Amino acid sequence: MKRTVPLMIVMVGGILMMVQYFIPHQYSQAIFDAYVSWAPIIAAFALILGVGSLTRVHAHKIKRKSQNWQFSWAVLIPLYAMPILAHLWPVSLAGGMDPPSAFHFMFMHVQVSIQSTMFSMLAFYIASAAFRAFRAKSALATVLLLSAVIVMLGQVPIGDLIGKWFPQIGLWILRFPNLAAKRAIMLGVGFGMLATNLKIIFGVERNWLGGAGK
Amino acid sequence: MSAVNIWERMLNIDRRWIFLSIGVISIVPFLTKIGMPVSTTDEVESIFNYVDSLGKENAIFIGFDYDPGTQAENTPMGVAVMRHAFHNNVSVFLTAYTPLGHGMAGGALDYVTNPAVPGYYSRVDFSQWADLRDAGVTDKDELVAAWEAAGHELPEGSSGWVFEGRDFAYLGYAPLFYLVILGMTASIEAQYHQDANENPLSEMPMLREHKSLREVDLAVTVSGSSACTAWVIYGREKIGLPVAFGVTAVSATDYYPYIQSGQIIGQMGGLRGAAEYEVLLKEHGITETTDKAFTGMDVQSADHILIILFIIIGNIAYFMGGFHKQKSLKGRG
Amino acid sequence: MYETIGIWVGAFFTLAIYSFLYKENPVYRLAEHLVVGISLGYTMAITYDVVLKPRLIEPLIGGHAWILLIPAALGLLYITRFIPGIAWLSRYPIAFVMGTGMGVAFPLTMKSNVLRQLEAAMIPFYQSGMPWHVVVGNIVLVFGTLAALIYFFFSKPHKGPFFGTGSKIGIWIIMLGFGATFGFTVMGRISLLIGRIQYLLGDWLHLIE
Repeated sequence: MKRTVPLMIVMVGGILMMVQYFIPHQYSQAIFDAYVSWAPIIAAFALILGVGSLTRVHAHKIKRKSQNWQFSWAVLIPLYAMPILAHLWPVSLAGGMDPPSAFHFMFMHVQVSIQSTMFSMLAFYIASAAFRAFRAKSALATVLLLSAVIVMLGQVPIGDLIGKWFPQIGLWILRFPNLAAKRAIMLGVGFGMLATNLKIIFGVERNWLGGAGK
Repeated sequence: MSAVNIWERMLNIDRRWIFLSIGVISIVPFLTKIGMPVSTTDEVESIFNYVDSLGKENAIFIGFDYDPGTQAENTPMGVAVMRHAFHNNVSVFLTAYTPLGHGMAGGALDYVTNPAVPGYYSRVDFSQWADLRDAGVTDKDELVAAWEAAGHELPEGSSGWVFEGRDFAYLGYAPLFYLVILGMTASIEAQYHQDANENPLSEMPMLREHKSLREVDLAVTVSGSSACTAWVIYGREKIGLPVAFGVTAVSATDYYPYIQSGQIIGQMGGLRGAAEYEVLLKEHGITETTDKAFTGMDVQSADHILIILFIIIGNIAYFMGGFHKQKSLKGRG
Repeated sequence: MYETIGIWVGAFFTLAIYSFLYKENPVYRLAEHLVVGISLGYTMAITYDVVLKPRLIEPLIGGHAWILLIPAALGLLYITRFIPGIAWLSRYPIAFVMGTGMGVAFPLTMKSNVLRQLEAAMIPFYQSGMPWHVVVGNIVLVFGTLAALIYFFFSKPHKGPFFGTGSKIGIWIIMLGFGATFGFTVMGRISLLIGRIQYLLGDWLHLIE
């Protein structure tokens, strides 16, 4: 029950779905349609794991008064306030009219601002890394560096002004050597993924079972 | 002070000076407004030409398959394609691969239909034109004529009317989206019973003409991750759905194999790709001005030059200081 | 008013995050924690709106689609992860979603990322009217893909004329590709910064259009 049944579910489900692709009969299509309507429902419940884990970690921090425990409230309050603001108490911020609501406000003006700024900080770090770490230490490193510089100049308008050949060489690198390298990686990843899929479906790879209950 | 010390000090400069220089260089070009021309590439032109060939009998999907983190790159792409489709009266389905992408799709739609934004489209909500729908008026030209005959005047500055359910359907997020794509190859309505505004899809005219992905002409996935590949794997390979990518620059180089193999018709790579689309829209008279992506390209130029200078100076200091002969260089901060 | 307050709040949090560039501080930490909570809270609300309500609750209540209780029950088994004695039950929904997902993905991924790529790698080097740089590019494309694949083939030592030379050419091609990726990565990061500066200078301070 603990290991065999899940392994059987994986095997039967995996084989059934693979076969379904090759035999588009009305019965297999009916099974597939049922599956497509069921799977998102099951997957939606997985959110409970995320919410539960996050709550547990931060509730623990607050309870034990660990370092910076006060900030855990900044996680827990919006975590539960957002669904409440969306459904149970959809507060409007437009003088009693319909949306924009507090829920919309929290997403568009707080979440979007913070998350996009966090990602944009990488611009500063990549500039610092370019100064400190990007070295032409060997012939291969020099090739990487030159390719990067040509592509960087080729992608911006000033590259066009410096020389028409910059964007052209940049595009040539992208369309030929870059494509060759990325296709080799795609093939490698593709074969690896397919092999892993088969190993899991046929129960050779079982690490996904984890240690829960053994 | 020996020469080596100067190079070492240079390489160990407090990185906050580098941060400051990037910050300053990123602000100045906005104020000087040079507006250097942006040339267009085949990868973007092919998407533009494809969308341009579509008309009121066609429909496209725009997948807002990204989170707020990459909105600066992705949103201009989605906005540009949506404007192009609205201009040509092509019906647009808006979907999202992630829950946060759901908000991004809504945000992009709000932007395109915001009266404060130049060249906006005047939005008519689903309930507002129920009478016309009930009367069977669904052809775009007839719909606009009937709507204006009912006393509605197109506001000044507006590029046209867009009717919810005829010109766009905001479907939004669904979990396990790759399965949703597969499911939509048979029926869109089976996957989304209602849109994000809780309007029933069964009553939408655009759903009557485009019941499944087989009756859709293009899917443009605007993506900040590998989510875009789902449209190729499950849409293109299953039913031959034409797919175009609008991806962040970080992942753009990874998808050139799809372009060469003909699995995608083209790709907008990063802000530059979005700027190219904006330039094409303006050149073809679809919009009067370019938008945020084009405006950002001067800063992009300045920052690239600065980072290349950093690489050159860093290498000069490294080799002049003789650090290439040492095993490691002491770092700080 | 709503928009104005929103933009001021957005600008405050933008600057709060950037303050980290100078030094870590409590305002940054507050923003960092908020984003985690809001993001998951938003996901919960949207998941209820677009999945549980239209696909489960409404069909159950309105349409008496009792069969949907099966996926609901299976989904609820995720909760057992938090109950030590029966945590193993959470493997059932995981097994279902993973197994079927892999089965669905297998043939289409094979077609898209393997077969189509192999097919597209077999191209003629030259056709009439083809410019010379494309001919050179095609040669690089075909032999470069082969060489890069050899480089990733670790079951044989990279020695001799085939594996040795092949892998050496392969690593040069890969470096050219990685260089292009680095160039694009720089571009991408700068683009994100541009987005925030447009927000601060335009939406907030109205210094630019």
